[in-house]
Amino acid sequence: MGHRSEFSAQTLAVLAELCATPSQWRHGYGIARDTGLKSGTLYPVLIRLADRGLVEACWEDEQPAGRPRRHLYRLTAEGLAAATGALARASSSARAPAKVRGERGRRVAARVTP
Amino acid sequence: MNWLTRVMVALLRCSAGLLPADRRVWTRALWAEADEVPAGWRRLAWLLGGLRLTMREATRRRGLGYPLAFTAAAAGTAWSAWPGPPGDPAVAINRADVVTIAMLLAGLPWAIRRVRGPAAGSRPARLLRTGGYAALLALVLVKAAVERVAEAPPNNFEGPARAWTGEVVFLGVMACYAALILICTARRSPAAPGTVAIGAATGAALGVVAYVLGPLGFPLRFTGLWPAFLYDAAMALGALLALCAPALAGLAATRRVDRARPAGSTGRQGAMAGMWTGAAAALVVAVLSTSTIALLPYQTGLRQWASSHIGQWTPIVSQWTPIYGPRSYLGYVAGNSAFAAGYLVVLLLGPLFGVALGAWAGRAAGHDGLPSIWARPLKRFQ
Repeated sequence: MGHRSEFSAQTLAVLAELCATPSQWRHGYGIARDTGLKSGTLYPVLIRLADRGLVEACWEDEQPAGRPRRHLYRLTAEGLAAATGALARASSSARAPAKVRGERGRRVAARVTP
Repeated sequence: MNWLTRVMVALLRCSAGLLPADRRVWTRALWAEADEVPAGWRRLAWLLGGLRLTMREATRRRGLGYPLAFTAAAAGTAWSAWPGPPGDPAVAINRADVVTIAMLLAGLPWAIRRVRGPAAGSRPARLLRTGGYAALLALVLVKAAVERVAEAPPNNFEGPARAWTGEVVFLGVMACYAALILICTARRSPAAPGTVAIGAATGAALGVVAYVLGPLGFPLRFTGLWPAFLYDAAMALGALLALCAPALAGLAATRRVDRARPAGSTGRQGAMAGMWTGAAAALVVAVLSTSTIALLPYQTGLRQWASSHIGQWTPIVSQWTPIYGPRSYLGYVAGNSAFAAGYLVVLLLGPLFGVALGAWAGRAAGHDGLPSIWARPLKRFQ
């Protein structure tokens, strides 16, 4: 009986993505593209992580030309610690990617397995 | 595709207003990102995800889940009960039913909130409110199915005036049931949560027993000696149970109330438990039996079973329904509609009968002076 992760496979994928470049601000579509998650899945994950204080969010400072300002995300210090621990546990049990099927599952597996 | 995308963006912007202020930023973030997504189906899927997010957050944070579920259920009931040829009194009655019940069920919570406070947040209260509303809508739905056959020419022998009178009484009874459900599941309910739960559970069980013993409101007929004997014994037990259940519920509810309270309080809890027993039993048996009656015109097997198991069928039907050639099943149902209407009497008398027995049991228990190991302090739904 494996240890049940406190995060879902989708949340682990987002954490892995943010964990890859922890100091860098990422935008939603970039995370969605790299994790293969849809917007209806990604944003609830980001909301939950932000509510728990694991992710911080802010708007771009300056108005870029030709497109609206983006909302940006990165892990907090607490989030980084939690993500590192959760990803280590997930990679040892290797059960998280099985929850996400197909191409998305392969992408998630690639993200959460070091 | 572009216009569809524009519609989605507009929908997303409008629906963001449903969210609390701290959540709107996420919707804004999502549509700001939409420009990055390649145009076409992928952008549309992105925006659809945003709409899903908005709905989910709105139902979770603003408590819109129940109103949305009610709207969907009421719309489904209307969709089912509405169709029919113009000029048919049954169709007019069904439409009046649906509109009035939807308005009652939607409007009464606002009125009762002012007097008794908002809905209690506890799970039993939510379950009772949801279950009660579902039962009322189900009753309207199956009644409409019966009316569609029973009140349509040539089965309506007494003209529309009698049908409309019955309709007014039915709507009044439905309003009383809805008010009872809402008052007893509000924060400032006059009944303790245990009282309501005991009464509702006992009543629902009693309603199922009554339905099993007489699915169409008639005693069943069995030809074999042993089946007939066993059925008669079950009927006697059922009658005893119907008499005792409100009193037992009243007694159990009273025992849960703090014995230090005045006898009037225990009597009131007993009465409330008894009333809930009677009301829940009447509602359950009315929904189940009217559903069975509504199925009669369409289920040959059910009609054959009813013919062979209901002894009193023929003489009662003959008072109401001559046979109409190949559509004889219409007459069959018209006879039954009298019994579908008979459940209106059950709905009226059930709670009154229950309240009397429950109050008696509650008062008796309040004055017996016996210490109770079940005594609990009176709590409100929170």
